[in-house]
Amino acid sequence: MRRREFAAILLGPLAVRVRGAAFPDAAELARRADRALRGKTQQGKCSMTVRRPEWERTLEMDYWAVTPDKTFILITAPAKERGTATLRLGTNMWIYLPRVERTIKIPPSLMLQPWMGSDFTNDDLVRESSLVNDYTHEIAGEIVEGGDACWRLVATPKPDAPVVWGKLILALRKSDALPRREEFYDEHGNLKKVMTFEEIRQAGDRNYPMRWRMKPVGKPGRETVLVYRRIVFDRPIPGRIFTLQNLKRRI
Amino acid sequence: MSEREVLVEVSGVSKTYRDHVAVHALRDVSFTLDRGEFAAVVGPSGSGKTTLLNVIGALDVPDAGVIRIAGHELTATPRDQLADFRLRRLGFVFQAYNLFPVLTVLENLEFVAVLQGVKPADRRRRARELLEAVGLAELADKRPAELSGGEQQRVAVLRAIMTEPDLVLADEPTANLDSENAAILLDMMEQMNREKGITFLFSTHDPRVMERARKLIRLRDGRVE
Amino acid sequence: MRLFLAMAWRNVWRHRRRSVLTVMTIALGLAFNIFMRALGDGFHEQMVDNSVRAHIGHIQIHRAGYHDDPAITKTLPELDKIRSAIDALPGVRGASLRVLGDGLASSAENSAGVSIIGVDPEREPTVTTIHRAVVRGRYLERGRRKPCLIGERLAKTLQVDVGDSLVLLVQGADGSMGGEKYRVDGVFRSGAPELDRGVVYLLAEDAQELFVLPGRFTEAVILLDSSRRVDEAARILEEQLAGVEAEVLPWYVVEPYIQQFIELDDAFFYVIVLILFIVISVGILNTILMSVFERVREFGVMMSLGMKPRQVVRLVVMEAFLLGAVGVVFGGLLGSALTLYFEAVGMDFGAWAEGAAALGLTTTVTYPKLTAANLILSNSSVLLVVVLVALYPALHAARLEPVEAMRHV
Repeated sequence: MRRREFAAILLGPLAVRVRGAAFPDAAELARRADRALRGKTQQGKCSMTVRRPEWERTLEMDYWAVTPDKTFILITAPAKERGTATLRLGTNMWIYLPRVERTIKIPPSLMLQPWMGSDFTNDDLVRESSLVNDYTHEIAGEIVEGGDACWRLVATPKPDAPVVWGKLILALRKSDALPRREEFYDEHGNLKKVMTFEEIRQAGDRNYPMRWRMKPVGKPGRETVLVYRRIVFDRPIPGRIFTLQNLKRRI
Repeated sequence: MSEREVLVEVSGVSKTYRDHVAVHALRDVSFTLDRGEFAAVVGPSGSGKTTLLNVIGALDVPDAGVIRIAGHELTATPRDQLADFRLRRLGFVFQAYNLFPVLTVLENLEFVAVLQGVKPADRRRRARELLEAVGLAELADKRPAELSGGEQQRVAVLRAIMTEPDLVLADEPTANLDSENAAILLDMMEQMNREKGITFLFSTHDPRVMERARKLIRLRDGRVE
Repeated sequence: MRLFLAMAWRNVWRHRRRSVLTVMTIALGLAFNIFMRALGDGFHEQMVDNSVRAHIGHIQIHRAGYHDDPAITKTLPELDKIRSAIDALPGVRGASLRVLGDGLASSAENSAGVSIIGVDPEREPTVTTIHRAVVRGRYLERGRRKPCLIGERLAKTLQVDVGDSLVLLVQGADGSMGGEKYRVDGVFRSGAPELDRGVVYLLAEDAQELFVLPGRFTEAVILLDSSRRVDEAARILEEQLAGVEAEVLPWYVVEPYIQQFIELDDAFFYVIVLILFIVISVGILNTILMSVFERVREFGVMMSLGMKPRQVVRLVVMEAFLLGAVGVVFGGLLGSALTLYFEAVGMDFGAWAEGAAALGLTTTVTYPKLTAANLILSNSSVLLVVVLVALYPALHAARLEPVEAMRHV
């Protein structure tokens, strides 16, 4: 509560400038969205369900993340994948397969391949931090998404940014800048994927979308749904978690 | 001996060539020739002899006048049918280069017969007969290059008559021959005229030849004298 | 008519030296044409053969839609029907079933994206020649524990050799992550870059386990005893598999770029042939024109005697035809002899080895191939050209006026 009032006083004058209609500063809004989704650290449990016309599969995972670019994920179910772990440090990614006791580095050429067979690519997991740094932002109006009043933020890649998308359009809640919807466009301007953020609930000290649904466009029967079962924000995480040795040790 | 009938009718024939100046090669020429005639067109060079033979021989068309041969009006015949007329009704002997160098004497004789579509056996037989009739049988398989000038001309005459044309036209046939060969050639032509009744019309300015002709048509500057 | 033929023939040899030269021009031109076409044909056949024998075979069968949009879940339907259709097909030299998928190959040093091909080690050699391209180790054998066969360049990238182990990470047909370790039993060098760089061969049953495809196959590949029978065989298979949801693809649909290259190469060849024909035509035209101009008076005599213009045309064209025919006979013999010699002995283009490898050739020795089509086409086109070229002088002769012609000196 207090934080919000404080933010309103601070942001008020900022909110009034530009474009007559009292749009907020786009870059600032992007930063707020980023912070709302992350925090300094994050850990917890989640499940990822991948749906295809031919099959459906659900993975259960424990995860640890330090913003901006350290992630450790351990798969706990089902049995075939149990013990598989992925580590992300900066732009590098490794995966450990317990069955063959081998750590495999994902080469850059495969960064666009699906992560664990889902609709998220390896690159998706790596790119999140760059929403703020690698794009220029612009507010393109307002929209109601999922029952919430939102700002429409258009993010265009900076000229030299290592980004695969041509454009991102996000619907961010006016109240707390949480995203309700993210649209991914390729360089030719075609909409390729849509992510919706659902079930916004209290998680720790903040509101958080507990269900993320990624749907590729034009491919019926395909989607990936990420459901957070437990999240803890900003608890310190030991550095040894994000090491190659830890892949084998798995905590 | 064949009956005396009019074979060739030339009436009012004129021909003018336009080069840089107009040359009146023939002016209003008229005469007739009977069948079986042995006639000569005589006159100095430039008098129109060759032109007259050309229009009678259906090799050229006069500008005015009528030419009839054996009742057939040449001047009314379209150009593309003249070749056929020549093939079937006329024979030619030129001053030189009558024979095809790549063919044998026998084949040269057969040439026109081949064009007419005569059967091979028939034309072969006729050609040999002709050669024998004038004593030139041994020349049958020789090439023209192996023959003397006189022999070549005689073979040319044989070729002209082999298909029994109504009229044989010979343009200065003895011009390149010496007296002896000229005489031999004329003998042969007379023989053919007598024995087979073939009408001959030749042009010449050679007095010896003129003597042998039974009818003379004198031309001077394109007019008959 | 026989007289004219004799006349035409003798006219041709009136100027012996000139005619001999013209005949030689024609003969050499034709021989060159025949040989180059045969070289091209041999080269193309080799290209096709290399590709066909290296991997793609003459005909491939998949589930309908696989070629345009491959997916691990698209496996061959009604295997029994497909098997019996293949068994019933005449002229089959070999046939094999494969499991196809993609994945990540990883060694201790490095990882690389690869295509994974699960094969039957006894049937696959009846179709492809990879088993002969093994340079180290051995080809796949049943009974050995999880063996794999990789290309030399992949071995280098991953820094593995015979005896080392390789991990393959894939997504299975049920969506699960599959990871399995295989031992490198052999390394091959095919000469085809895509195979040497990006392919891992496994036993079919190991691939089925890895991709969670029990008893299923992705592709049936067929080798015929003659590449000329491809279309017919494909048609028969399509008829046999009419109710089955399968696609029957001849090799040129699988790898169209080979056919496109051949067509491009042929186009270049035709340009060269065109230039050659122009050169020959000029020579022939010159010869025939000269012989016509030399005989103007003679044509005059012929037409005075009553020969029709079209008969004159026929005579001149006949002369040209006979000249051409002699040239064609010699040229055909020369070209055939030259081709047959090199067809037996082979031509080594060793100096261009790099380029050859890029085009998918595994050897630098090419064998020109003489075909009836080549001979017929080459010979008749030369004759046709000769006759066409002769038309100009022939028409000129036919248009002469007898009186003027005879005055010609």
